[in-house]
Amino acid sequence: MLISCNKLKSYINKDAKIDWLKIWDIFTIRTAEVESVKEVGNSFDNVVVAEIMECENHPDSDHMHILKVDIGDKDYIQVVCGAPNVRVGLKTAYVKVGGHIDGREIKARPLRGVMSNGMCCSGRELQISDNHDGIIELPQDFKNGSDIKDLLPIQDIIVEIDNKSLTNRPDLWGHLGIAREICAITGNKLLPIDTLEIKNDKEDLDIKINSTFCSRYCGLKIKNITNNKTPLDMQIFLYYVGMRSISLLVDLTNYLMLELGQPMHAFDARVVKNIEVGLANDNDTFTTLDGVERTLTSDILMIKNGDKYFGIAGIMGGLDSEILPDTTEVFLESANFNAGVIRRGAVKLGLRTEASARYEKSLDPNMTDFALKRLAYLLKQENKDMIITSNLTDIYPEKLKEEEILLDKKTLETYMGFTLSDKEVVNILESLGFKVKVNKDNYLVTVPTFRATKDIKIKEDLIEEIERLYGLEKFQPKPLKLDLISKELDNIFNEEIDVKKILATKFDMNEVHSYIWFDSGLLKDLGIVKDNVKILGKDTNNILRDDLSLSLIDIVKENFKNYNSFQIFEIGTIIVNNENKRVLSIILADEDKNLESIYNKLKMVIKYLFKVYKNKDISFKENESVKEYYNKVLSKIVFVDNKIIGEINVLNKSLVSKIAKKKIVVMADIDFDLFVNLDKNNILAKEISKYPTVSLDYTIKLDNKKYEYLESILKEFKSNLIQSYELMGIYQDKYTIRYVIGSKNKTLEQKDIQNFKERFMEYVKNKELIIEE
Amino acid sequence: MEEKIAKIKENLKQELKKDLKEADILNIKSMYVGKKSEIQELLASLKDMSVEDKRKYGSLINSTKKELEELINKKLEDMENKLDISFDDTVDYEVKTGSLHPVTIVAKEVTDILKRMGFTVVSGPEMETEYYNFEALNIPKDHPARDMQDTYYLDNGMLLRTQTSDNQIHAMEKYGAPLRICAPGRTFRNEDLDANHENTFFQIEGMVIDKGVSTPNLMYVMECVLSEVFKTDVKVRLRPGFFPFTEPSYEMDISCVMCGGKGCPTCKNEGWIELIGCGMVHPNVLRAGGIDPDVYTGFAFGIGLTRLAMMKYKINDIRYLNSGDIRYLKEFKI
Repeated sequence: MLISCNKLKSYINKDAKIDWLKIWDIFTIRTAEVESVKEVGNSFDNVVVAEIMECENHPDSDHMHILKVDIGDKDYIQVVCGAPNVRVGLKTAYVKVGGHIDGREIKARPLRGVMSNGMCCSGRELQISDNHDGIIELPQDFKNGSDIKDLLPIQDIIVEIDNKSLTNRPDLWGHLGIAREICAITGNKLLPIDTLEIKNDKEDLDIKINSTFCSRYCGLKIKNITNNKTPLDMQIFLYYVGMRSISLLVDLTNYLMLELGQPMHAFDARVVKNIEVGLANDNDTFTTLDGVERTLTSDILMIKNGDKYFGIAGIMGGLDSEILPDTTEVFLESANFNAGVIRRGAVKLGLRTEASARYEKSLDPNMTDFALKRLAYLLKQENKDMIITSNLTDIYPEKLKEEEILLDKKTLETYMGFTLSDKEVVNILESLGFKVKVNKDNYLVTVPTFRATKDIKIKEDLIEEIERLYGLEKFQPKPLKLDLISKELDNIFNEEIDVKKILATKFDMNEVHSYIWFDSGLLKDLGIVKDNVKILGKDTNNILRDDLSLSLIDIVKENFKNYNSFQIFEIGTIIVNNENKRVLSIILADEDKNLESIYNKLKMVIKYLFKVYKNKDISFKENESVKEYYNKVLSKIVFVDNKIIGEINVLNKSLVSKIAKKKIVVMADIDFDLFVNLDKNNILAKEISKYPTVSLDYTIKLDNKKYEYLESILKEFKSNLIQSYELMGIYQDKYTIRYVIGSKNKTLEQKDIQNFKERFMEYVKNKELIIEE
Repeated sequence: MEEKIAKIKENLKQELKKDLKEADILNIKSMYVGKKSEIQELLASLKDMSVEDKRKYGSLINSTKKELEELINKKLEDMENKLDISFDDTVDYEVKTGSLHPVTIVAKEVTDILKRMGFTVVSGPEMETEYYNFEALNIPKDHPARDMQDTYYLDNGMLLRTQTSDNQIHAMEKYGAPLRICAPGRTFRNEDLDANHENTFFQIEGMVIDKGVSTPNLMYVMECVLSEVFKTDVKVRLRPGFFPFTEPSYEMDISCVMCGGKGCPTCKNEGWIELIGCGMVHPNVLRAGGIDPDVYTGFAFGIGLTRLAMMKYKINDIRYLNSGDIRYLKEFKI
């Protein structure tokens, strides 16, 4: 929202000492965020009031004129001008020779052979309006030769306030509210503003409210409006704050909205019969002021005239009730509508207007009649002969009354961490328009209705007012008192960090982050159909992932563009059976010839995690229900404590070849919720034998069998000498196993060792395997 | 006698200076300190000397012998330590390292600081109910924050949480008061992607509830976190804000670390970056968590972890973070 400092000044006591450039830094930390502060009106100099005394056609031009203008000097000055509205007696803005317009120096120079000394300007050239139809027309009472900056509010400071930071402050959507806030910050006084007292000695207008979404509707009829020209200073103001000047009646409704925050509407009274406010019927259509035909729904609030729609309440008027150039009688509307209805209506229609933006903040219904009286006052300044032809008709079924809030001093002190004097509290609250009664233990605060509609409801809201105006920068940070209470801990984050660190440091993997939904393009490319929870109103990437590894294939694909082999991991959420689930996914991607090594590495990494963090062994078992996009043989279920905790998979070759050539992708998915909840196996110290151990290596040929089979055999072989055995390596189908044997009671003798060897070899041979020592 | 002993020592030193092989040294050893060596003979001759001479020369001869042995052994050790270096000892390979996601690193830093102040780290669900994401947080049905265009609503009646504040309610229900928790996590907003906007980003929620918790307490915690994360003095600005779940509410800005506050695209030329939304917990939120607002007060804050990581590491395009591009991510050492 744009704010004019000239306008603000007009509401504040004249002797106020405010630095209008700097005040906005303080405003930002007291009230709302300021986005920019710009000085305007400095784009020109040496521009004075000039009266056209003579006007002749240019001999060599079909549109230019040679003017003699009076700028209060002894002699008239000759200027050549191409504007169509030149005429004797017109007062306009003239730049002297040597003066500047938009950084350009104006020089005396011939125009088609006739000397032109200076230049007459349009409003757009002066950057005080967007009018470029002709040179600017100044009032007749402006003295020739006066600097126009002394006569018009051209030099100004325009401030942009972040609308988002005003969401909660309906009272700040007009200049008066901002001025009130500035007064409260700087300790100045807000001046009363002029209104026209309206005697209700005429007839009421025919106005009916048929919906509770309209809490108040005020109407007033005025006729004999002959001057529909907006005064220049108001035009400049409107231009500076981003509004187009159209005509006095339209401009005044906009002006009131910018001044008080109250949107208003002026209808041509010739077409108004009786007003009704009510909801639309579904599928009815209505053409708004901008010429667009819109389809309505039954939750949109409408203004009806007789049996016809007249305007969309709080959003935009209709095309056929527009103020026309020949309008001399108006019906003025100043109403209050429900914030939610206006907001949803505006969103639904895709029509967010200045009016709807204000209504959706919950405006104070108590300002509608005030705004009408103010408009009437301003209108009368330009139309002395106007005649009010109706009562100020006010339909207000349930008047919003001022509420009281009890703020106990103890709560205030607790929140602030220190004590303020009663005087400070009262000053702050009163400067914002609150009334305060000081009691021994509390303040009884009356909330003005312009603050009561949205943000001030409870005592904590008052504390915020006191804190911010006292000055948040004056607060001294205070450490928390630390009571050492041990609570039940939620460990998932800590364990996530631990596991991530191991994967990144010990195994040199890269952590990635991805999205919680599948990439629909990728699924389509891979020919995978997924059905899971969906995001509403989204056509692509709308299926939530139920397989973390699969959702990372997109990232795998991108990285294959730069790397032949890489290893990534993520701990992320997937949605399975409508439940959140944390999963650790590890993906190793490599050239396809390295399948064996990365497959085994992946198993080793997982084994490592369980060993280190849980002191547990895991096992891999056949997967009975492999997803169709994973390899059937290599897919394994990971078991810990006889429970399933994850799986490892190899993406089918036919899919991999769609994202990269001659590559292979192996992946593990570990249920991280289960992982975190696994208790770590107790660690017990182990006695070391005093006697030496002996290592024995055997090579066993497995033919077509797998290690799984060999291991089951080895497990069955019992001897109290066995300390441990492990697989040392594989060469073709020969597996090298190392046994470590020893005794707790003595150094093994040769015959003990021989005995063991013979028993073991015999045992293996009996299983029909070939064994070598 | 003294001269003779000095001579032996001097001879040995000269001998050892030559270019010798291990065998040579062993020869020298037997020559100088072996059974038939001169010093050994001198030692043997002691028994024939007078008591006076025995006393005079005995210790001298013995210590000389020890000295000779040490000289020779030293030479032998030097010989052993001389490695046959046939490789290039200036070779310098790059180390291969993995990486953590920048947001993970920043999340860990922030939680570490908070843990030291007695906060428990908790985590909540990314797919959340409307109740925990909105209702319980004092965001009524009519509130603009609940509009379709900002929130990912799901076809099972749930939604993707728009903030980590849902953890406030979960934590109050689970632990009650007093309470001190923080909750890092992923959040979702329906936004179009560009260099500054993501639909998936991280926040960390913090909440303290106790008797007498105040705004200055909140400021203290925020200041600790920021000064530690950025290690340098960042300027901090507190200003009024508006969040339905806190009252009073504040926005905490820090001076832009990209431009030092001069104004740049990252800070939209304002010199300040909105980083933390915070405030005193709204009484309705305390009630929703089953805590009596007449007894307890509390504060809560939400820090944009993604934004924090971008500031800290000067990441100028948010889209890198979820790209999974190892070329970019590999820089982020733990």
